[in-house]
Amino acid sequence: MTLNRKISPNVIEIKSIHIKEAQENILSNGIKIYTINASNEEVIKIDLVFDAGINVQDFKSQANFTCKMLSEGTSKYSAAELAEKLDFYGAYFQTKNTSEEAIITLYCLNKHLTNCLPFIVKILNDSIFPENDLEILKKNAIQNLKVNEERNSYLVRRAFNQAIFGENTLYGSYSNISDIESIQKEQLVDFYKNHFQKGLKYILASGYVDNETIKIINTYIGSNTFKVYDNIAKKYMAKRTEPTDLYIDKINSVQSAIRIGRRLFNRNHPDFREMQLLNLILGGYFGSRLMKNIREEKGLTYGIYSAIEAYPFDACWYIDTEMNNELCETGIKEIFKELARLRNELIGEKELKTAKNYLLGSFLRSIDGPFSLADRFKILKDFDLEYQYFYEFIEIIKNTTAERLKELANLYLKEEDLTSVIVGTK
Amino acid sequence: MIKYNQFQLANGLHIIHHFDDSTQLCVLNMLYNVGSKHENPDKTGFAHLFEHLMFGGSINIDEFDTVLQDASGESNAFTSNDITNYYLTLPANNIETGFWLESDRMLSLDFSQESLDIQRNVVIEEFKERYLNQPYGDVWLKILPLAYKVHPYNWPTIGKEISHIENATIEDVKTFFKNFYCPNNAVLVLAGNLDLETCKTLVDKWFAPIPSQNFEKPNYSQEPKQTEARTETVYADVPLDMIVKAYHMPARTDEDYFAADMLTDILGAGKSSRFYIDLVKNKNLFSELDAYISGDVEAGLLMIEGKLSKGVSMETAENAILNTLEDFKNNGVGTNELTKIKNKSETNIRFNDMTVLNKAMKLAYAWVLGDIELVNTEADSYLKVTEADIINIANQILVPTNCSTLYYLSKQNDTK
Repeated sequence: MTLNRKISPNVIEIKSIHIKEAQENILSNGIKIYTINASNEEVIKIDLVFDAGINVQDFKSQANFTCKMLSEGTSKYSAAELAEKLDFYGAYFQTKNTSEEAIITLYCLNKHLTNCLPFIVKILNDSIFPENDLEILKKNAIQNLKVNEERNSYLVRRAFNQAIFGENTLYGSYSNISDIESIQKEQLVDFYKNHFQKGLKYILASGYVDNETIKIINTYIGSNTFKVYDNIAKKYMAKRTEPTDLYIDKINSVQSAIRIGRRLFNRNHPDFREMQLLNLILGGYFGSRLMKNIREEKGLTYGIYSAIEAYPFDACWYIDTEMNNELCETGIKEIFKELARLRNELIGEKELKTAKNYLLGSFLRSIDGPFSLADRFKILKDFDLEYQYFYEFIEIIKNTTAERLKELANLYLKEEDLTSVIVGTK
Repeated sequence: MIKYNQFQLANGLHIIHHFDDSTQLCVLNMLYNVGSKHENPDKTGFAHLFEHLMFGGSINIDEFDTVLQDASGESNAFTSNDITNYYLTLPANNIETGFWLESDRMLSLDFSQESLDIQRNVVIEEFKERYLNQPYGDVWLKILPLAYKVHPYNWPTIGKEISHIENATIEDVKTFFKNFYCPNNAVLVLAGNLDLETCKTLVDKWFAPIPSQNFEKPNYSQEPKQTEARTETVYADVPLDMIVKAYHMPARTDEDYFAADMLTDILGAGKSSRFYIDLVKNKNLFSELDAYISGDVEAGLLMIEGKLSKGVSMETAENAILNTLEDFKNNGVGTNELTKIKNKSETNIRFNDMTVLNKAMKLAYAWVLGDIELVNTEADSYLKVTEADIINIANQILVPTNCSTLYYLSKQNDTK
């Protein structure tokens, strides 16, 4: 029998999804540790989560520099010695600041865990923020900022966030050179005392995390030196902003960076999950309308996409691309045409089915392996949700209709609500 | 330890199967043994342009992506100097759709002029976005022709210049396909929740009927030993001066490759590296300074690149790098330093082997290198390296006559 290559193999739709859920344990001192034990390799990732985000800082860059400086020295070890110790065991130590949290992450092989954790404890108990190291860090940060300011993609993102969230709000705030210059050691010491040393929000451990591993973590982080600390009274003042059009002239650009979008609701809003599907159809995957029209049919750009960025207290949605300065106008016209199509026409049955199947497949990929599972769980924690949220996601996506998506486009993707920012050369 | 089975079809297609039932997914990875080094020097950027065309429809399937997305799958590809690699990830129970798609585009593309016209524009925009419109984006366009005078590693995968991409014709596309995109120039890896028997059945069904091709790999010259220091100075609209030093180093299959890789780790990886502690932190001559290897199959480059702190002269910066290298060659590697680098390699390998996609790519690449078992011996190759090996390789390659240096100077310095 000859093979008929015109006929596609039978496709099985994703019906239900099994998610390996995080387990909750409590360390001796009351700190919660959530674990995802799902690895054949004996490797582990430990996230220590602190209520030390940008939202609790008193000065710009304070949270960020405190975080960066944690590994720059304790009373016993210099920055170089700390790095040497952790590197010696093949470990990776990272600190990350978000608007709401600071996260300290350790990656290592399980066999080195007992060697690495004592240094993490020292960093959390006894960081001294040496002035000399701070000055170098500041200088390098300023130089990096200058390089970033040469990137149109950086400039467009900054201007867009400032425009839609407001310049001095949590999500629209950016440090400039003088903010970095004015950071002082005392400010970091204060922030460390008030936001790291008060305690941890929780711990998230993923990889190979059996009971023995939890015991080891308990020995070091479960001691009375550490407490639980989560300041529930968060301050976030949203600011009202009006849609606007900005053009930033950047001489000698070969291409213009474009970002068009608006403020949106976050995961706690009932329409969020359907908006994810609508966004996907517009610009969220390779087969999206923007990619097909603007890249694959017209060749105007290397890439164009749209995305929802959800934060615990706010969110935004935008379309982002870089294209030839001269083609910009054509490109933007096409973007608005695609938005109008979503508002005025029903999405075809076939296109909707493809998008749904892709989105469910992409969810399946997002729960593959312990670190991906940990990322999913973190989303639930950040937005105060339960696993039910993901199971419902599957149902909501399956059941939503073209009519409903058109309704959402008319509610949330109206031209008059959009802010547009272009960085390039006219 | 990555377990695998392998077999070969009569048409020459080599298949590697890796079973992992801890995932609900399956990866289909097709590697064609063709990269930018196989290009005609007057038609560069072609392997990469061709990679784009592979998504533009094949002989029986109009829309590659729609079919894949309907089956809840996703795919992408990359081109390097040596290879072109395509990978598809699907729910394991839909993997046959992957076989259908991948075998059809191996059988034949639809060679549409329209698709070529569009992808030429897309790639030109990519050229601009990634190489021209980024601060320091054109460093590779400058350093490669300095380091390689005859070997085709002398141009980057995106191509030497935009005109090469503009001039690509549909005839070029057909010739390239006929020459390189055949079963006897490829390896197929199936990794994930797919048992060996099903894998064999599907491979037979979809790939066995594709005929093999007679083709000749183009000959190209090997790079003669560099005998003089080479330098070039460029001025660009960037905020900080940058220095890039490229030293020729052994091929991936040479046993000294691992020592050279570890050498760059000692010099420039992380906050306990020599460059970071001495030149970024203690002397603060650089805001960043890295050392790494290009990682090519054939003799590649050991790279040192750094951005100078404001106010530091290029001469001071370069001398500081050279002093660190001399100090290293004279005083050797500390025992702790060696253990540290070995531990780092182990961590990197173990974390990398966590996903089926990474494992699939690694298996395919090992086949290109001529020994699939390399996926499991790699860790030992690092463990075996001694202090003497690293010092030897440093003495061999970190010498001025083996080096091409690019001084990338800020125009903004002049105006101040």
